[in-house]
Amino acid sequence: MKKVTITKILIANRGEIAIRIMRTAKLMGIASVCIRTDAEPGAMYLDFADEIYDLSGEAPDIPVFLDVERLITIALKTGCDSLHPGYGFLAENAYFAQKCYENKIAFIGPSPDAIYKMGNKTVARQIALSNGIPMAMGSPGNISNEEEALKQAERIGYPVIIKAASGGGGRGMRIVRQPGEMEKMFLLASREAEKAFNDPSVFIEKYIENPKHIEFQILGDQYGNVVHLGERECSVQRKHQKLLEEAPSSALDSELREKMGSMAVIIAKAVNYYSAGTVEFLLDSDHNFYFMEMNTRIQVEHPVTEIITGIDLIEQQILIARGEAMAIRQEDVKLNGWAIECRINAEDVQAGFAPAPGKIEKLSFPEGENIRVETGVRPGSAIVASFDSMIAKLIVSGENRMDAIHNTKKALDKVWIKGTKTTLPFFRMLMRNQLFQSGDFTTAFIENDLDQFHSSSEYEETIAAWLAVKLFTEESLSDSVSSVDYEQGKEMNPWLLNKRINRF
Amino acid sequence: MMTTHKPEIKKLHALNSESEVFTFNLPLKNIVKVGKHEYTIELREDEKYGTYVLWKNRRYPVEIVRTKQNKYEILFNDISYTFTIETPFSLQRKKVLKSSQGRNDRLIIRAPMPGKIVEVPVREGSEIKSGEPVIILEAMKMQNEILSSATGTIMKIGVKPGQNVMKDDVLAEVTIK
Amino acid sequence: MDINSKNFKSYLDRDNALKKQYNTERAKKQHNKGKLTAYERIALLFDEGSFEEIDAFVTPADNGIEFGKVEKSFGDGVIVGHGKVGGRLVFAYAQDFTIMGGSLGQVHARKIDKIQQMALKMGAPIIGLIDSGGARIQEGIASLNGYALIFSNIIQSSGIIPQISVIMGPAAGGAVYSPALTDWVFMTSHTSYMFVTGPNVVKEVLNEDVSSEDLGGAEIHARKSGVANMIYDDEENTIIALRKFLTYLPSNNVENPPVTVYDGLTADINEKLRDIVPDDPNKAYDVRDVINLIIDKGSFFETSELYAQSIVTGFGRLKGKTIGIIANQPKVLAGVLDIDSSTKGARFIRFCDAFNIPLLTFEDVPGFLPGMDQEHQGIIRHGAKLLYAYAEATVPRITVILRKAYGGAYIVMNSKGLGGDFNFAWPSAEIAVMGPDGAVAILYRRELAEAKDPVSLKKELVRTYREKVANPFIADEKGYIDEVIDPAVTRSKLISAFEALNNKWVKVPSRKHDNMPL
Repeated sequence: MKKVTITKILIANRGEIAIRIMRTAKLMGIASVCIRTDAEPGAMYLDFADEIYDLSGEAPDIPVFLDVERLITIALKTGCDSLHPGYGFLAENAYFAQKCYENKIAFIGPSPDAIYKMGNKTVARQIALSNGIPMAMGSPGNISNEEEALKQAERIGYPVIIKAASGGGGRGMRIVRQPGEMEKMFLLASREAEKAFNDPSVFIEKYIENPKHIEFQILGDQYGNVVHLGERECSVQRKHQKLLEEAPSSALDSELREKMGSMAVIIAKAVNYYSAGTVEFLLDSDHNFYFMEMNTRIQVEHPVTEIITGIDLIEQQILIARGEAMAIRQEDVKLNGWAIECRINAEDVQAGFAPAPGKIEKLSFPEGENIRVETGVRPGSAIVASFDSMIAKLIVSGENRMDAIHNTKKALDKVWIKGTKTTLPFFRMLMRNQLFQSGDFTTAFIENDLDQFHSSSEYEETIAAWLAVKLFTEESLSDSVSSVDYEQGKEMNPWLLNKRINRF
Repeated sequence: MMTTHKPEIKKLHALNSESEVFTFNLPLKNIVKVGKHEYTIELREDEKYGTYVLWKNRRYPVEIVRTKQNKYEILFNDISYTFTIETPFSLQRKKVLKSSQGRNDRLIIRAPMPGKIVEVPVREGSEIKSGEPVIILEAMKMQNEILSSATGTIMKIGVKPGQNVMKDDVLAEVTIK
Repeated sequence: MDINSKNFKSYLDRDNALKKQYNTERAKKQHNKGKLTAYERIALLFDEGSFEEIDAFVTPADNGIEFGKVEKSFGDGVIVGHGKVGGRLVFAYAQDFTIMGGSLGQVHARKIDKIQQMALKMGAPIIGLIDSGGARIQEGIASLNGYALIFSNIIQSSGIIPQISVIMGPAAGGAVYSPALTDWVFMTSHTSYMFVTGPNVVKEVLNEDVSSEDLGGAEIHARKSGVANMIYDDEENTIIALRKFLTYLPSNNVENPPVTVYDGLTADINEKLRDIVPDDPNKAYDVRDVINLIIDKGSFFETSELYAQSIVTGFGRLKGKTIGIIANQPKVLAGVLDIDSSTKGARFIRFCDAFNIPLLTFEDVPGFLPGMDQEHQGIIRHGAKLLYAYAEATVPRITVILRKAYGGAYIVMNSKGLGGDFNFAWPSAEIAVMGPDGAVAILYRRELAEAKDPVSLKKELVRTYREKVANPFIADEKGYIDEVIDPAVTRSKLISAFEALNNKWVKVPSRKHDNMPL
């Protein structure tokens, strides 16, 4: 592989991740180009760009961040020699990576081949299987009908989970606990998969009950060097959407970490993986772990790993894309302290995390040595339904887990957001929850172990009641009528007199 | 001849959605009592924070979400609370009415116009608040939210997405809390 | 006068007897039903100590027939008088259910008649607090005649003084026409009922079991029949709201509405207004968000809120001055005009016109509701009422077109041709004979049928139609819209427009009365 120069990056993304990438780019002396869209022409990320490509005024059928040809054209037009896809949108689209390569634009991410292989769950499973990675038993390939599904499920043993072959993010997944449910669930899953990913193929896996979600951050270069940067635990999730991530995980000791980490490295090496990537595992209560999937992009929760390892992952991505050999060796990677990330979203916790779009009126975050905030919004920004509902990521660190929880609790109390309901009450509750504090929770935590997604001490409700009473006394009991001037209505002028005489 | 005087209201009660009562003496003082301790409370507003409450040297964000008659929805510290404010008499009246009447406790939601069901955002057995959408009905190329006029539990949903309905077809039934 | 004189003593004795009549036992009866007594209601309604009662000592008529029992009480079951509400003269009568069920006898009726006449002569609002079992059977025809007297007084005063009925108990039989004739009906939930024939008769005639609440409770009348304009959970809140409501209304038809001291808390330029109407014409929003940002903060008093919700009506203030607001509600059935919303709007407009309250219309209307049901029920006749009410109104009339203004519904909603004084439009407005889909389907029927790709052709045509035809700029250039305005400055535009219209006077030809389609 030959070295390429990277002097100007097209940011094919928006929001906080666009800002995050540009921050590192600036430190490295690299220019950034951002795209202004009609959906949010005044967005905050644009302020961080060295150059803006203006698409406002156009209302395209698909968002520009999903339009491969358009992005390539923009990159070429603006003279970008590289492109960072961020997460979401086209970040894991092999065709897009291929197109960049063909147009001599350095794609800051893995190779198209690695994206393709890991993106297709069935292929990924086969690769993992042939490399001896522990996995939940599953169907050998895609399943075309429910009879076959029933046969496979019989072999594997219930409960099983049906997953979309090209899926992710929890869509197209269905758990089947007994044969009677298979037909319905199979249809639902494949229909949902078709709708969400344009591909109805599904496969079946053993369903691991109440596991922990543990993922390993890996980093590889174009010369076959791969290291892992320890794990993140993302078990606090709702309907497969992560809400809080932490690093490291309280469930792993150094021996298990070493075992799982080396498995992550093996699977990455199997596809000649380079750039940053994440290998996801499920960990059951007996500390058996199972390979789930690999994400071939930078992830939302990457900051927690950065904090405990001291490594700037975006910087590494850029260096690797430039064709440089990685300087980090496995023995250099040391995990220091503990970091927790809370995803502060515009959601109504009291209405079951329903999206709560709105306009941010006031916004301020605490500052401090152990606090890092990643946000793409500011007062006046609209949280629009067309993009995600994220307002900010609050990342707080501490010497150990209890210390990090304590610091997070304090930091959460200082976050000030007005204009929309947020997930803040959820995190405030979580930091005080005993099961969370013990670390002994699983992915079923939110669904099974919590009666309420928020908590408030009694005094808070008393204050709210006081406010309601105060308003009532001001509006209803006080004689609001006293500010009314009845005399002014009686005022006479010649014109009015005329009106009266002439009966209007 | 009778002389009329306004009754003096010495107390006000705030009832939350679970009918728990918070009582305050009038005239209302800027004090909230928690357990045995009393703390001063202040409602303020400024450019940086918007409206907030200052209590025990800490700022808490406050938003008056909705007020309607004597009903107040207040967002305090990012959590919303709903109260109705009752005078001693109206609180008594609530009790009297509750005990004397077997209130009509079921709400039947019917299609206000013919159309096609686009979405059913609720499930049978789920809780619903007054004013929240039960069904989304497309008619005249517009998606209409059919709202529940009562707070309670969804007992039955009579339609599926994609289904065409006629005017006055039963869409859902709600057991009123 | 010597306070020891015989006359003075009997004066004091009588006073004591009256006080005794309203003992706590009587109050308890009402309280046990969750209701207040007539005096308590009066006390809540009027400013402290301002109520002056008249005819407190009249006694029931003796008609010489021995049938049933007549309680020889003072006042004959109704309290009448006048007092101050917010410092202004208001007349009122309050029926007392504890005396012969608040039934209306001859003397009872005469007291109401007296106060009605006075209110008309003084040009002051009159409030009826109704809690009555209906006509007094014992007094027969005299009682029926009493009702007729009250009805004809209401009609004589209609459009001259504001008349408000507050239903706080039963109102059954012919008695319901008294509230029906007045301008506004307030009801208290769960303890008030209105019906022409009660549940017993329904049971006898139709053999249907129905409760009073289901037949004629507050909720039914507010939501379905439209008889009740405002309903409240309890009597205190009903009266609190009534006091507030009165601050919007003038005392009579030759005065202007009262003006509040404007607190200056509302931003004259509000950029939030630009974000409320969604770009997607098929997306709904709550038009009340628009109203609340434009009028004085917290001044919106919505009327008939639960009835025909696709149109919003209510009072508000602009710099302290009362205006009447009519707005299509895109959140409910896309803001469509149907029979109920047309009549609701028409009645509101006529009240405002009668009492010198300027009208402000917010328009976002896709059209009239199509269908057999509506056509057969007479949408033509009822829709005409709204049109009629607008065109007839001589008070200042301003329209702001927020989004859709299509076809007949555009004409009806106070268009320039109907006599709108100022017609503004937001840049998001779409003004045309019909919506883009319909227009394209008619004008390009053949082209669409023959096209290889009709879907994309239609899409293209719809886009062209929106750009070229259905926009506010053409209307502006032709003068059918006075100005296309930035949503953010709507409030300041309206304030100066209403100021300009302050002395509007339209000469109306003299006639006995007009002939509105009913």
